[in-house]
Amino acid sequence: MRQFFPVDDLARDERFVQTNMAKRMADSRSAVGVKKSAKSRGASNRLTPDRHDASEAARSLMHGIMVGEIQALEGAGRTAHDFAAGDGSGDTIPFELKLDMARQAWDEARHVEISAKLSDWMGTELGQFSENTVLFEAACSNDPVLRLAGVNRALEGLAIDVFTQMKEFGQLAGDPFLEFCEDWMLADEVTHVKMGSDWLRKVTENDPDRRAKALEFQQVVDKLFSFGGARGDSDESPIGLARRFRELAGFTDDEVDTIAEMDHDALEERKAAVRLAQEAAGV
Amino acid sequence: MSTDADTASTARAPFAPWDRRDLPGAFDVAETARRVGNYKWTEMKLFEALGGWVATVPELDVKMRLGTHCYHHAWHAELWHKRLPELREMKPERLTVPANDAMARFITAMTEPEGPELTIEKLVGVYRVLIPRFVAAYTYHMNNTSEITDAPTIRTLKFALQDEFDDWRDGELMLQSLITTPDQVRRASEHQSALEAIMVEAGGITGPGSIGGAE
Repeated sequence: MRQFFPVDDLARDERFVQTNMAKRMADSRSAVGVKKSAKSRGASNRLTPDRHDASEAARSLMHGIMVGEIQALEGAGRTAHDFAAGDGSGDTIPFELKLDMARQAWDEARHVEISAKLSDWMGTELGQFSENTVLFEAACSNDPVLRLAGVNRALEGLAIDVFTQMKEFGQLAGDPFLEFCEDWMLADEVTHVKMGSDWLRKVTENDPDRRAKALEFQQVVDKLFSFGGARGDSDESPIGLARRFRELAGFTDDEVDTIAEMDHDALEERKAAVRLAQEAAGV
Repeated sequence: MSTDADTASTARAPFAPWDRRDLPGAFDVAETARRVGNYKWTEMKLFEALGGWVATVPELDVKMRLGTHCYHHAWHAELWHKRLPELREMKPERLTVPANDAMARFITAMTEPEGPELTIEKLVGVYRVLIPRFVAAYTYHMNNTSEITDAPTIRTLKFALQDEFDDWRDGELMLQSLITTPDQVRRASEHQSALEAIMVEAGGITGPGSIGGAE
């Protein structure tokens, strides 16, 4: 077995359809598109049950969660495999970090089980929506510290936001089954983000350059997964920023503020791009 | 006012009538540490392989099982890692080694299959060759070590064995569901034979004497 495994070789059965992020976001059934309808409450674009497209959007998001969990499982498994146990320098990671990655693999496997059952419960078939494999790409770095920053902090951080939103969706929709499951997954994700925060600080304790590079990579992934501001503090964003849970997971207030600013900028950029496109089309 | 109960003797034998544990055991501290080091190395190699294979298997149920079992073996490695300093090995890495060259070659051969069409080979190596060897070595150790002086090792062996039995059953179920044609039977048995031959050369997870009888 190779030490590093390329994203193009991820093994899937024939039901899965893989695509890139732009195409995935362009799916009109997506939960994260900026769209408002006459039935929406005020200016809010949050994913709530009263949105006219709530059913389809929630199904799309849940399917996205499931394939994301599959990739998170694969990523954690690869990190447990790809790096030898050592002092954290070079191509090694501490033995205890390998153990944490194995633990995360188990947690993600349960999340796949949970989201597969929830998808079924919501009436979705596997492969009904396409799979964007960018999450696993973030787990392909040759530097384990970049994997911690990109996957455990940026992407698992996004998972905290998404699960908080879905938990609220379940609560508002009167679906205790959904609310219950999302709350359990949320607890695991906070653990994973904290794991990433702690190990990032520990492994780069005496290497400020490596830490800076990792945090820079985290920002790149954070921006990419802001989905053009689809996640953010603004009510225009379908998914809110779960500040309290992020704090529990080891994010500082400054770090959360930075993410919020980035989300806001991404949202404004996207709105400007939409305006330009509309003007060009004479709308 | 005193009663009969207050004056009755509380003196009892140190071992209750139902406690038949014995002091003698087959392994001294050094031999126990050597075996534990071999266990830790092999459990590590196993959890690394299971984690690595997750991305390579297309069958969704197998993918999830491998992720789950990956943690079981990581936990065993952790338990053995913690046991080593208690056995006077202050540098656990020194004893975290394969029993011999053949054992190292076995792991290399077991982890060689990578393609998405090789799920049967991956599972055969783990669930029909390596895990049965864990069950054997752990059982032998548990039944032959001192029940009193080495109780901590026995406790860990019991936890690990429970997982090994459960995982063995999961693996066998997955294999039986995947092996449905004569060609697949041939593939499974040929791969098992090739790996068994190396394992026999190694003498088991702790080398010759893994299950006793090596003189």
